[in-house]
Amino acid sequence: MPIYDQSYRRYEARGGLRQARFWPITREALRIVLAKRLFLVLLLASWLPLVVRMVQVYAVARFPEAGRLLPVDGRLFGEFLNQQILFTVFLSVFGGAGLVANDLRTGAILVYLSRPLTRRDYVLGKLGVLLSLNLSVTLVPGLLLYLVALALVPGQFAEWKLLWIGPAIVLHAFVIALSVSLLVLAVSALSRSARVAGLGFVGLFIGLEIVRGVLVTMADRPEAHVLSLLNNLRMVGNLLFGIAARGAAVPAALPPIVLALGALACLAVLRARVRAVEIVK
Amino acid sequence: MTAPLEYARASRWYGPVIALNDVSVAVPPGVTGLLGPNGAGKSTFLKLAAGLLAPSQGEVRLLGRPAWGSPEAFHRVGLCPEVDAFWEHLTGLEFLTALLRLTGFGEKECRERAENALHQVALHDAKDRKVGGYSKGMRQRVKLAQSIAHDPDVLLLDEPVSGMDPVNRRRVIDLVKKMGREGKTVVVSSHILHEVEAMTRRVLLIHNGRILAEGDVREIRDLMDEHPHTVSLRARDPRHLARAVVASPHVLSLSFGADGEWLTVQTARPDEFYSALPEAAVEAGVTEMYSPDEDLESVFRYLVAR
Repeated sequence: MPIYDQSYRRYEARGGLRQARFWPITREALRIVLAKRLFLVLLLASWLPLVVRMVQVYAVARFPEAGRLLPVDGRLFGEFLNQQILFTVFLSVFGGAGLVANDLRTGAILVYLSRPLTRRDYVLGKLGVLLSLNLSVTLVPGLLLYLVALALVPGQFAEWKLLWIGPAIVLHAFVIALSVSLLVLAVSALSRSARVAGLGFVGLFIGLEIVRGVLVTMADRPEAHVLSLLNNLRMVGNLLFGIAARGAAVPAALPPIVLALGALACLAVLRARVRAVEIVK
Repeated sequence: MTAPLEYARASRWYGPVIALNDVSVAVPPGVTGLLGPNGAGKSTFLKLAAGLLAPSQGEVRLLGRPAWGSPEAFHRVGLCPEVDAFWEHLTGLEFLTALLRLTGFGEKECRERAENALHQVALHDAKDRKVGGYSKGMRQRVKLAQSIAHDPDVLLLDEPVSGMDPVNRRRVIDLVKKMGREGKTVVVSSHILHEVEAMTRRVLLIHNGRILAEGDVREIRDLMDEHPHTVSLRARDPRHLARAVVASPHVLSLSFGADGEWLTVQTARPDEFYSALPEAAVEAGVTEMYSPDEDLESVFRYLVAR
């Protein structure tokens, strides 16, 4: 009789899956991204608009009459976050274009998925990287600016009608971070090269802007505003912070719907592409 | 007792291509060799076991659960894939530590386990070098190290000694045998009979997606002896190697590669050839060795025709 039949071994897998399985993936990728000096410079640069806005708030606090020209209200925060969208795009391209593409190229996705992880954990882990980066230039400075404004010009925020600004900052920051992150991750999953994925994302971003510009200005089709990611995010910001839009606007509900559909499309791409084994039919 | 790894009428096809066809087999603890020529379905067999692919039909059960969709079972499974699967910018130690974190170990334990696994595959001295700078043999060994670092009960090794030099090949073979003796379930795929024979006597013969035979390697071996065995070796000094091996009565022919680095040997007695090889290989600086699978292919053709 073989020795293995003579000894007792338990052949049921023991223990369940632990919580936050995505976190080691996020942590490792963040460590790599933040080790790049150029990336840190970009991250620091994306905080410069906050300094400018803080100076604005300080000026209003010192010289209240300046508040008539540069009011500290929803517009200040909405415009600040809308400005930050471009930084999230840069950070996502430099920090996220290779997140899935590199794993597909090197086959590392296979070693991830042969661990006690699901494909969802893998996507969450990678998404966590981009969300952390993008929230660090939207949510964190947005809330910081809000706190500074509360501290320096509390009179402006004592009114009930301005209480929504805090939640609006959180919501808009998450909409920006999630939309940009999901799109970059989906584009990354469509390629095996970080460079191609990065160029693909930038091309998509700029290409949609051009199409929108042409259709809106030359063909007089205002509904084409929803073709652009940047414009959709700005329109959501305008809606949340009560900023009046210039020119012909699209129905208020349309940009959030387009962004939600875009996010679903990105998830569908990730579902199809994040596999341990590429099946060529 | 339920076997740790069971296939019940499992099939897997990719579009119109059938990779695995109606396979029913129970893999017991110990080392099992999965033997078949390239394209036979070995990798698909292992990927189904590792839960990386869903069976198109039938079921694959791992540690009492369906292999597909049971990630919790993979705390106890190690996979050494055939393809290179690395983060090349990490050092060997960082690579293993990162993977151990994914398995759920704490920081201190990750490091200890990573160091221990690198030690077992004789890579400890190169632990702080980037994986991207490793030689082919070292890459094979770091892949093996990641598969054993978490002390799995089931180990799936896809061509684990491919491209290794003879000394490390021997070391890995000894490691696999040791794990088999410890009661672990080890499935080793290879297209080289003698490689598998050095690790175990129990083999599964796979060809065109079907299990042709299951049992003792000696029976296959008898068939194999009718065919000359080809071995290709890459060495710093292939002429020195040729001088060393040509004296053996079992060597039928020798030929040099066009690049001057490769030597191809045909032998009638592979066992004797492999036994005598390590000393000559060290002297001639052999860095890579592989055996084309034409020999095995001819045995399979014979088996299928029988």
